[in-house]
Amino acid sequence: MTQAVTADDGYSARLTRLTLTWVLVALVLFPILALLGFLMRVLQAGFFAALPPEWFYAVMTLHGLGMVGLWFVAGMAGVSLLLARYVRPTLAVSWIAFGATLIGVALLLAATLVGRLGVGWYFLYPLPFHSGGTWPPWATASLFAALAIMGVGWTLWAGDLLWAIARRFRLSDALGWQYLAGRETPEVPPIIIIATVSLIGVLAGLVAAVVILVLVALEGLNGTFTNDALLIKNLTFYFGHMLVNITMYFGVAMVYEILPAYTGRPWKTNRLVAAAWNLVLLLVMFAYLHHLYMDFAQPQWLQVTGQISSYLISVPAAVVTIFSTLALVSGSNMRWRLPSVLLYLGVMGWAIGGVAAVIDSTVMVNSRFHNTLWVPAHFHTYYVMGVVLMILGTVFHVAADLSKQPESLALTRTIVTTVGVGGYGFLLMFYLAGVAGVPRRYATYPDEVARGITYAQVSLAFITVLLLGVLLYIWDTGRRCVRALFA
Amino acid sequence: MTGTPFAVFIAATVVIVAVFAFVARGTRENRTSDYAKVNRTRLLFFISLAVILLTFLVLTLPHLPYPGDAGTSGYVVHAVGKQYAWSLTDGAGPTLASWDRDMSPTITVPPRTMVEFRVTTLDVNHGFSLYAPDGHLVAQTQAMPGYMNRLRVSFDQPGTYTVLCLEFCGMSHHRMRGVVEVK
Repeated sequence: MTQAVTADDGYSARLTRLTLTWVLVALVLFPILALLGFLMRVLQAGFFAALPPEWFYAVMTLHGLGMVGLWFVAGMAGVSLLLARYVRPTLAVSWIAFGATLIGVALLLAATLVGRLGVGWYFLYPLPFHSGGTWPPWATASLFAALAIMGVGWTLWAGDLLWAIARRFRLSDALGWQYLAGRETPEVPPIIIIATVSLIGVLAGLVAAVVILVLVALEGLNGTFTNDALLIKNLTFYFGHMLVNITMYFGVAMVYEILPAYTGRPWKTNRLVAAAWNLVLLLVMFAYLHHLYMDFAQPQWLQVTGQISSYLISVPAAVVTIFSTLALVSGSNMRWRLPSVLLYLGVMGWAIGGVAAVIDSTVMVNSRFHNTLWVPAHFHTYYVMGVVLMILGTVFHVAADLSKQPESLALTRTIVTTVGVGGYGFLLMFYLAGVAGVPRRYATYPDEVARGITYAQVSLAFITVLLLGVLLYIWDTGRRCVRALFA
Repeated sequence: MTGTPFAVFIAATVVIVAVFAFVARGTRENRTSDYAKVNRTRLLFFISLAVILLTFLVLTLPHLPYPGDAGTSGYVVHAVGKQYAWSLTDGAGPTLASWDRDMSPTITVPPRTMVEFRVTTLDVNHGFSLYAPDGHLVAQTQAMPGYMNRLRVSFDQPGTYTVLCLEFCGMSHHRMRGVVEVK
């Protein structure tokens, strides 16, 4: 049952071309968005003080929305490629999603860089409608148009992937329930289960996004109707947290599918794997509640549910996926190449970022860490040193295979060293500043939290090293992709 | 207060890095998988993790920052946020119409007395946060349109405490401030 789809009529070539197109766009956008992040730390470090703060917040919005969107679509594209070993997604739908994403990116660029829209990546209601004269109404309209267009494209894309899975597996089998019932057949590879769980999560998150857009539109059209800020906040964080978590799971799906090629050991589904991912599907619906701990008006039982769910969701991740990664690698004849190193380090980064996230999901601790730099510290850990490494490892795995060019081990060592040292050094400055109570999302630091300036200054050196590693990776991978695309 | 979670984080990170490094070094041996041993180790790990998480739940959940009852407790301060200022008054807070006349960015409260901040906003979400004279974050709650959040704090040390905004609210978010004089 888990045999790869072999029938071909040019499908593989078209799928490869599509994936490489996604990859090349991602490889262009990634360093640009990373440079925007660097620029933010430059401004926080006290340099270019003449630049008006609205530029900082516009750049912050573009950096956040851009990175979240970029790694989501990169995850979707990567998982689509790997899923095609077992099922057959509709390529036209992926192209529609690609077109919708490009239109969305163009609208976001216009809203932020021309309109100077500064609302943060989760555009918390009702801020988009209270610009204080900073951005014009068309910039807000542009933001919501971008979200609507990308939302439609991504919904179709996720729906098509689920449909492709459903054409080959019953939903209960795709979720691995046969393993929970004690049966080993039909055999389903882990990526099918993880993708099914993730895609259901994507659709659930996008439903919340649609509700937000409808409610906001209703308020805009009917002057007498005012939305409930707490309800919109719950919906916003449900959607945002879901999107970010699912992106992480896409990376993990890649680890399950690709790492065995380097260890020489299979990674098969069993009852534990099936149970873990079904538990994740349940808990991920509630873990978002930890974003609202400081909203004291939220019912207390929901706050307690948030902490318990956030703690529990770490168990399947740690005991099944992270532990199994270690068991798969331990004592194997592992081929340490750039893809396997990045996948392995990505899992390690996920574990470290996960610990920081669990700590922050403790209500008592959140009173001191909420919206300090501890927050970007932990999510940058499981992005930059987690899912991004997993996706970059997968991209190199594919690019190296297509280009047939040998890997330079010296270059691999340089990339891994610079990304590792630069990445964790950059993150440490975030963590230390968070512990010191330095707020996140400040264009400049007032006297009470002026120590944030020093942390920002030190971080610039580490970000420079990190960017060097990223650019080396992009140069090496990009030329392989270009060669494969035009071969 | 923030030192303990950071110490836990650093300790956990050291353990994670050490385990990943140890496993990576062991790949030179090419052993056959001993599934029974793997499962025993996994069970041990699961039990250890469960005990750790349960311990933290038991230790921390009794210390939720939410006021347990709706009654007035001690000294009451009405904290109202509006792009980009805090109004702190001991009477009812200003409205949009009376903002220029009634807002006050400074208030004085007594030390070692329970002070209840009744926090709301007239426009967007803000984050009401109290920073001690030495710059450490004392307490916080969100200011939400249409809601009033109650935050109770007892200031042990006299001095000038600063109110900053901890929820991004627009271009002068970082300049939004108020002052609580404790004396």
